[in-house]
Amino acid sequence: MSDKSDSAVSRRKFLKTVGQGTAAVATAGIAGGAMHAAANKPAADSGKKNTVQYGMLIDLRRCIGCQACTVACKAEADVPMGVARSWVEYVEKGRYPNAGRSFLPRLCNHCSEPHCVRVCPTGATYERPQDGLIVIDQGVCIGCLYCAHACPYGVRFLNPVTRFADKCDMCIHRIYKGLVPSCVNTCQGRARIFGDVNDPNSEIHKLIAKNPVSVTRETYGTQPNVYYIGLDTTDENTKKPGQYVRVTTNKANSPKRT
Amino acid sequence: MEHHLMWNWPMIVYLFLAGLGAGALAVSGIVVLWDPAGEFRHRAALVARLGAFIGPLPVIIGTILLIYELGRPFRALNLFTSNFWFMFFNPSPMNWGSWFILFFCVFATVYALTFLPWKALLRGERGERLEARAERMRSPMAVICVPLAIAMAIYTAILLAAIPARPLWHTPVLWLLFTVSAISTGLSAIILVQRFMFRKPGAVRGAIRREDPAFRVSEYYLVSMKVLLIIAELVVIGLFIMFAHMTINSANFAVQVLLPGGELATTFWLGVILVGLLMPAFIEGFYLLRTAVLGHEFEWPYVINVSAPIAILFGGLMLRYVIVVGGQITGPIGI
Repeated sequence: MSDKSDSAVSRRKFLKTVGQGTAAVATAGIAGGAMHAAANKPAADSGKKNTVQYGMLIDLRRCIGCQACTVACKAEADVPMGVARSWVEYVEKGRYPNAGRSFLPRLCNHCSEPHCVRVCPTGATYERPQDGLIVIDQGVCIGCLYCAHACPYGVRFLNPVTRFADKCDMCIHRIYKGLVPSCVNTCQGRARIFGDVNDPNSEIHKLIAKNPVSVTRETYGTQPNVYYIGLDTTDENTKKPGQYVRVTTNKANSPKRT
Repeated sequence: MEHHLMWNWPMIVYLFLAGLGAGALAVSGIVVLWDPAGEFRHRAALVARLGAFIGPLPVIIGTILLIYELGRPFRALNLFTSNFWFMFFNPSPMNWGSWFILFFCVFATVYALTFLPWKALLRGERGERLEARAERMRSPMAVICVPLAIAMAIYTAILLAAIPARPLWHTPVLWLLFTVSAISTGLSAIILVQRFMFRKPGAVRGAIRREDPAFRVSEYYLVSMKVLLIIAELVVIGLFIMFAHMTINSANFAVQVLLPGGELATTFWLGVILVGLLMPAFIEGFYLLRTAVLGHEFEWPYVINVSAPIAILFGGLMLRYVIVVGGQITGPIGI
């Protein structure tokens, strides 16, 4: 196994090196336009900036909406009452014979193009170059909540105890001790898979490659790193006329999804 | 429905006061720069002086409110302790805005100081020297203050408009709306203070008296400017709604809170449009047209003279309220 993975990595590195060399020769030899094209080309297979990019895949076919991840997150991160770093939305739709319910677990998407980082006036929130996680430096944050407005997913909030902007940090204290995030650890149906999205040998990479996956609010161009299998895109605001849809966010501070 | 507002009344009042201060300062500076040596400056000296005095005060009060609303008010200086050049490679509107506020407060205060009657305050040679120096500094300070004031007015809108996740704010006409509203509220504040201060003729020694024809002429110019600004603001509000309404996705959904049937429709149509814009425009327009068309002397009842600027100030506050709250209770649609 290790032998195979080593060879795979070295082959990837080799191809990358060759590719970069070719690009360099091309830019040196030809013109600025070629350089521009080379710069626009994605660095890795997934098109993300970082070599290591931690992310999460949520297999909604296995999600039962039990909120165990919500509770685990609250316990792990000591999140105060009234706010949540991770929660599960319920979507009910249809009429009696053809009624259904689907679940949508939400957490910080750790986007590769994060809007929250762009608007932060102090540089307190930033993208870690070594693993692509978006974190908040609580020594710098002033709690202006500009980032909370900028996030299209509404995952940021003002922590009523510490008075800083707060959000999911992918349990950074756990993953650097070789553990998985608390929500992944506790998930009853093993619906959540955590790992390096860019590592071709990781479980999450293989599952993303094999399954049709989707991300939330893709049109905002944030390039989220939380993927869903079997995502139900039904929403109260975009339902068909006559269709019955009810969304329960299960979030105290935002009863509506928007 | 009860909503959770992350930016509450301090932010709303701040946006209003910052616009008001910036507008008053911009009017004052433009009047000073219009004709530095000629007659116009003498005639409108009162407007320039009042605008300069009004300018810094609301912005300082608004900034205190803004700091009060921060999660960690005592860390507000973190906006300045990070590297100054940070704002050029991470151009956050709030970072730019914090520098604008800082420079605005400093320069607007210095500019206001140049309008103090130094000769009356300090007797003797020292007062005369300071008076002469203040008069020399007035125009250079105005050159700095006018762009700063306009930048300040624009920044209050860009702060909101920079965020794609708030579709009601994320529109290219918001800066125009806030800038026009800022100048018209600043002008209204000047007219109001002018009227309160000169209720009794000759209340301030050395200044232009109320029965002076120059006073009346300058007020005629001010009010006609204000009516033009109100018309411009109505046009921009129309564009604002039209842009949002013509957008297919979230912005169209978001603007429904302002349209009839929406949650903020009453506040918007009664508070902003009717009380804040249409009523003052019709009342002031009537007296203006009486002078312009029929050739009557420009004069009007005291009640209307005071209530029209108050209505415009109220409309400016309601505009900020509607935009700030409406942006927060709507959001991206879809999942």
